[in-house]
Amino acid sequence: MYLVIVGGGKVGNPLASSLINEGHEVFILDNNPDTVIELQRELGMIATIGDATSLQALKDAGASRAGALIAATDSDEDNLAACQLARTNFDTPRTIAVAHSPENAKLFDLVGVDIVVSATDLVLANLATALPAHPLIRLMPISDGTQELVAIKLPAAGNVIGLTISEITLPYGTKIVLIITSTGHQKSYNSDTIIEAEDEIIALTPANSTAELWELLTELR
Amino acid sequence: MNVIIMGAGSIGSSLSRKLSDLGHQITVIEKNPKAVSLLPRGRVDSGAITVIHLDGSTGPAMIEAGIVDADVFIAATGKDSLNGLAAQRAMITFNVEKVVALVSDEAVRTLYESLGIYTINKTTLVSTELTNMLSKDEI
Repeated sequence: MYLVIVGGGKVGNPLASSLINEGHEVFILDNNPDTVIELQRELGMIATIGDATSLQALKDAGASRAGALIAATDSDEDNLAACQLARTNFDTPRTIAVAHSPENAKLFDLVGVDIVVSATDLVLANLATALPAHPLIRLMPISDGTQELVAIKLPAAGNVIGLTISEITLPYGTKIVLIITSTGHQKSYNSDTIIEAEDEIIALTPANSTAELWELLTELR
Repeated sequence: MNVIIMGAGSIGSSLSRKLSDLGHQITVIEKNPKAVSLLPRGRVDSGAITVIHLDGSTGPAMIEAGIVDADVFIAATGKDSLNGLAAQRAMITFNVEKVVALVSDEAVRTLYESLGIYTINKTTLVSTELTNMLSKDEI
């Protein structure tokens, strides 16, 4: 697929090289001449100097034949403008934008950017896996984000420890998909399986029930 | 009317003075505390113009500026895309009735107009004005 990336810096540069390795044709637009020279040295003549929010620059980069436009500059406002310009002027089928502030991530979503990558949420998700607390890890949004796959590690002194699965009233629509024990093994389970301390529960849940599920499973005795 | 102006540059400052002359309540949001020298000092001191030092494109700054009761939001920084983002937030998140964005690029102007934002292209204004002036002289 032909892909246009705006912003070839810390995010755009490694992104471009992995997309090239996957066999995509990539073109990068960046307004910093040094960044462009760096890209050309590493990846060949696939980068040019240009403003992310200039219609002419996007046109010259081939936005009209691109399968997707990926906006990965350091500036949220430029990322949004690039996506909207591409969508309205070139009918770019997919627009993808990095949002550095979570508030902007929500706005991008509302105004119709197809895929919004929230930098803060990504960092939080990774932090959560590294921290010893009892985190909620959002593994994957499903069916347009109305449902999600989450992982919740149960505290040793949790309210649900010692109960069987049938004794727990899960939020409506929530289904336990997998249980992993504290030693890292899969636990085969049925409705009579007893929940043990430090079990990690992977569940598919409606997105608006995630908080309720987390509270239920991590509430302390 | 309650008017919020983002950006205390030459346009934002002169606009706040004129609208204040007309009796409107003005709140100016300017990120840089040093960049408010163009605002009418007396108006700021008397409270006719309120100044807030935050990033005006963010929700918290807009709330601080009283966007919930604002009739008009004008994005008047020097950066088109920032004006566009702030205007969309004011319109979509806070339902401000009249939202204006200053731009200097015609393609960007068309984009924001199509989203329902009132736009002013200062570049076109100046060049049109100049062209008119010159063609009058010739006749």
